[in-house]
Amino acid sequence: MNLLFTSIEQGLVFGIMAIGVYITFKVLDFPDLTVDGSFPLGAAVASIMIFNGGNPFLALILSAMAGMIAGYITGLLNTRAKISGLLAGILTMTALYSINLRVMGQANVTLLNTKTIFTYIEALGIPYRWGLILAFVIAAAVVKILLDSFLKTQIGFALRATGNNPDMARSLGVNTDAMKTLGLSMSNGLVALSGGLVAQYQGFADIGMGIGTVVAGLASVIIGEMIIGERSVGLATFSALLGSFIYRLSIGIALRLGFATTDLKLLTTVLVIIALSTPRIRSLLRIASS
Amino acid sequence: MLKLKKVTKVFNKGTINENVVLRDINLDINDGDFVSIIGSNGAGKSTLLNVIAGVFPVDDGSIILDDQDITRLPEYERAKFIGRVFQDPMMGTAPSMTIEENLSMACCRTITRGLRWGLNEKNRKEFKIKLAELGLGLENRMNTKVELLSGGQRQAITLLIATMVKPKLLLLDEHTAALDPSTVRLINDLTEEIVLQKGITTLMITHNMEYAIKMGNRLIMMDRGQVVLDIKGADKALLTVDELVNMFENAANKKFDDDRIMLGLRN
Ligand SMILES: Nc1ncnc2c1ncn2[C@@H]1O[C@H](COP(=O)(O)OP(=O)(O)OP(=O)(O)O)[C@@H](O)[C@H]1O
Ligand SMILES: [Mg+2]
Repeated sequence: MNLLFTSIEQGLVFGIMAIGVYITFKVLDFPDLTVDGSFPLGAAVASIMIFNGGNPFLALILSAMAGMIAGYITGLLNTRAKISGLLAGILTMTALYSINLRVMGQANVTLLNTKTIFTYIEALGIPYRWGLILAFVIAAAVVKILLDSFLKTQIGFALRATGNNPDMARSLGVNTDAMKTLGLSMSNGLVALSGGLVAQYQGFADIGMGIGTVVAGLASVIIGEMIIGERSVGLATFSALLGSFIYRLSIGIALRLGFATTDLKLLTTVLVIIALSTPRIRSLLRIASS
Repeated sequence: MLKLKKVTKVFNKGTINENVVLRDINLDINDGDFVSIIGSNGAGKSTLLNVIAGVFPVDDGSIILDDQDITRLPEYERAKFIGRVFQDPMMGTAPSMTIEENLSMACCRTITRGLRWGLNEKNRKEFKIKLAELGLGLENRMNTKVELLSGGQRQAITLLIATMVKPKLLLLDEHTAALDPSTVRLINDLTEEIVLQKGITTLMITHNMEYAIKMGNRLIMMDRGQVVLDIKGADKALLTVDELVNMFENAANKKFDDDRIMLGLRN
């Protein structure tokens, strides 16, 4: 029961990150590695603000904004400086390592006895555990619904066409460079928001907490897609959330089976490799072909 | 309406592979002209259209559309006035978007995209009518992803997208080359119908001499980066395939060597 609860909580809060990864990898067809840096960036910004007595909700907004800037920079590196997408993400991610350390001032920040969003929710008389779930459900639902709606607008169509067929998009007046930069900003904004929530959830931020974010996000997107598919945009974002839940549940089970926490990245990577190298699944996913 | 003044395009400038693909091209296209463009492989036909559409910059010369100098305008901005259909049926549509979503991309070629819904009751109805006019039964499959359609169906949709909002200029680059003969006829009929009905100024590259002669009011032949023949009006109407081959051989001073040309043997 506890495993289930934890998986739901984690599935939702990391699911926001997975939706971010969905935007770049699937909608934009852009293999963005910035997320390994923007996830801890969000955590760093939120935790340092809360540590110093700031409002935890405002902290989340700033987390998201910091992440958007990070994504924007990767976008500029790619579209203006003409650096390949993969390298642009690695450059931003590497720079963020230093920036995150600067933001936190040390390698980790602990949020004991500080006011997080969960303190506020508990003050409403909701039991802590339910408060967590409530907050995450609301956050994930808002993100999902807003993104689904956005992807159905004229700009949303332009964004999807940019990832799907950039030649066609340009021939219909879409500034594909601008769309890429927009998508990268949105994606990293969500990833950093997720980072800010995770920091408050686990009670600390750590400089190393971003390692493997991309792979975990990708694993979630892949799992979700294998189960549900992407017949429509709404189903695709839902499947990222569901995939995130199943991924966290599998990790929980792996831990119970006696794997060490440190083995999990290897396990996840193997899972993603198997999924991507199986031709049938690969054609189903149309991912990582570039 | 479209003027090319001394347009020159060189690929791999300054290297041993330097290749002058367009050489001082002067061209004056009138409003409503429907021009078919023929010429051997590598003559520079696609490059000509790409340069007009802004896919890559020219090395020299200028391009004027309706008195506006568009030589330096980026491709996505020229798209406001220019509709295109490519040879590859994959190129003109977004495969994992639905038919109606693809069609909705057409609206915004001329306006700035915003946060309005891409699809609504009104444009869905409009799309349904336009699709029904194609006679391919696509009006009942508006929610189908384009990747599930055949090449001919995709080209029909691309043509619809390119002309939904009347462009000042329509550029067709061998848009039927990848299709089977009966679909070629279908798409060519459709092209003629749309272009004539809306009076769209059109440049159409083709390797099919018969269609080149039959369609449009003007015929241009290119060779090695230059326009070597430009036949208009009554002269064009009376043209035969044999005459055209002769004229080419005189103008280009060489044998007609296009291995892909179709001399248009009847049926
Ligand atoms: N992007 C490019 N970079 C370098 N060279 C190019 C490029 N595009 C075309 N070329 C060269 O320019 C020349 C003309 O090509 P173009 O595609 O315009 O010919 P075409 O008349 O359309 O021929 P085809 O009938 O085979 O389509 C060719 O020699 C080609 O190799
Ligand atoms: Mg060509």
